[in-house]
Amino acid sequence: MKGSKAFSTIIGALFAVVGMSTAALADPSTRIGIVAPGPHPYFTQWESAGQQAAKDFNIGVVDYRVPNKWELAAHNALLESMASQNYNAFLIFPGDPVATRPTVADLVGMGAPVISLAGCLQDPSDASFCFATDNTVAAYEAAKLLIKEMGGKGKIVHFAGFLTDPNTKVRIDAIARAVAETNGAVTVVDNITDLDVPEAAQDKINAFLATQGSNIDGIITTAWIPSVVAATALRKIGDKRIKMIGLDNDDLLMAAITDGYVSGTVVENAFAQAYVGSFAVDKLHTGCTLRSDAPWKNANRSAKLMDSGTVYVTAANLDTYHDIQKEKAKELLTSFKSNYLKCP
Amino acid sequence: MAVGPSSRRQPNEEASTALGLTLLIALAFVVFSWAAAGFSSPYNLYALTRTAALNVLLGLAMMVVIATGGLDLSIGAIGIASAMFAGYLMQDFRLHMMIAIVAALCFGGALGFCNGFVVVFARVHSFIVTLASMSIIFGAMIVLTKAESVRDLPPAFLALGKIRWFGYLSPMLMVSVAIGALIAIMLRWTDLGREILASGANSRAATLSGVRVGNRIITVHALSGILAAIAGIMLSIRNGAMVPSMAGNLGQEWLLPAFLAPVLGGTLLSGGRAWVVTTVLAAFLVTELTNGMLLMSIGEFWVQFALGSVLLLAVLLEKGRSTLMGTVEGV
Repeated sequence: MKGSKAFSTIIGALFAVVGMSTAALADPSTRIGIVAPGPHPYFTQWESAGQQAAKDFNIGVVDYRVPNKWELAAHNALLESMASQNYNAFLIFPGDPVATRPTVADLVGMGAPVISLAGCLQDPSDASFCFATDNTVAAYEAAKLLIKEMGGKGKIVHFAGFLTDPNTKVRIDAIARAVAETNGAVTVVDNITDLDVPEAAQDKINAFLATQGSNIDGIITTAWIPSVVAATALRKIGDKRIKMIGLDNDDLLMAAITDGYVSGTVVENAFAQAYVGSFAVDKLHTGCTLRSDAPWKNANRSAKLMDSGTVYVTAANLDTYHDIQKEKAKELLTSFKSNYLKCP
Repeated sequence: MAVGPSSRRQPNEEASTALGLTLLIALAFVVFSWAAAGFSSPYNLYALTRTAALNVLLGLAMMVVIATGGLDLSIGAIGIASAMFAGYLMQDFRLHMMIAIVAALCFGGALGFCNGFVVVFARVHSFIVTLASMSIIFGAMIVLTKAESVRDLPPAFLALGKIRWFGYLSPMLMVSVAIGALIAIMLRWTDLGREILASGANSRAATLSGVRVGNRIITVHALSGILAAIAGIMLSIRNGAMVPSMAGNLGQEWLLPAFLAPVLGGTLLSGGRAWVVTTVLAAFLVTELTNGMLLMSIGEFWVQFALGSVLLLAVLLEKGRSTLMGTVEGV
């Protein structure tokens, strides 16, 4: 008798604790989680852009979170913990285009809208849409810029990311399309892939430049690590003859642009992604819907892609490209409001 | 059949360890419910039970090998390779889900069998053998699959990952507990189980008693492979895809939870004693601690630090307790 009383007291205490903690979470305002799949310099702008969005759009909470290691299980665990803590809207770079879908389905099932950010989930998914750079357009435009820098003729080498990444094949095709438009004046000597690992990038790029550097006139890179390694290699060998267009905005790459070793870089608009994305997911959480006639692109494995665009950065606009990104973000915001969003 | 000097007092020790772990689980539940927002929410309890299901299997997979005095470092590689195998059978050969899963379990068992075979016939410690096989299996899997995930899976398989009982319970945990119950029955009430424990307690004495120790070592490695394969399938159901890196590089992310559960559960690292109930409880406790610390936004590195410290402390406490008991018995 005494034992059963003690047992019921313990159970009662447990339920009381559960009740108190659940009640503490009952907050009706939008709590947005911006979640990267792992540490990477690309995501550094997301935190400040999210804070800016919270201030400009009067959103309750916009928190940027990143697991300490780039690993699917850690990413999923972080998302699950945020869902448990009453975050009710998410901007997520998928840890895997398919394996993140069940977690996204869980979140959406709990009433939290999800936008996949900077990288798309593979269709079909429960994400409202994908807000990312259109890889085809970015690679095509980068190739056109390089061809222009080379004076419309010469030989190009393409340093790319993992071949298993579907985006790599898309980028190779886009560069081939831009080159084909020169009617043979420009040729692609090689597409060297699997360079998203520093060691592999160092080995392959340095070996290529040592053996065939004199045979090429242009370098195009379509991933972060090969951009940094190729820029560093050109600086080391002191070669300003070879024109190079990189991707994104690592400090070493930007320094190489300042010093004239790299012509320019195509910078994805990470600020716009988090800023406009926060606005969008807040609106979706508070009752707005997406227009049925929204001008979605079908790219990056998704039939619902909104292109976040790029900024071409050269020595001329190196100091002001952040302002350009913010201007473009405002344009994207206006476009999203008028062409994609429908509010009651 | 006697299975070691501690066999007579085993039920009491197991019960007291189980009681201690149960109290720790309850205490952790109260503390995290109070300190970590969202810990007791239905979704978190569901996520927690889903992760616990995996950790229970990993603990059991390691426990059965430790019972014979061995180790298996390759359970991550075997688990992921088996899951990838099932995925390819479903995706490329369009085999029925159940056939693919059974084939994957056989595949995992076969890989474990190979581990055991080399351990017995080369007379090399399982630490070295499974360290090598971890690299071989994972490397071969990466080469054969070109590191590509298996993503085109049948809807029936994907639907398994969406089942939720009462809003907060993953049925996967029930599967793991049921498997644990079968292993407990096997170890306690069958000749096979007793021979496994006898082989771990004193292999020479077991051999003299007519136990084929080599066969039992091969058996536990094969069983460990099957359990790892089930864990790999479960993780794939949770992810909706088979991803080569889902247990980290070489499957190493599974090693810490795999060791923690049996060691905290009182399994002797020298072999001869394996407690299933306490291993299951310890796996649940480890999952609860990890989940709670994550919710409290304690950095992942600190979580790893804490779990590693718990493992070391448990080993040292067990060592101290054994020494003390030996002294008392000597007196």
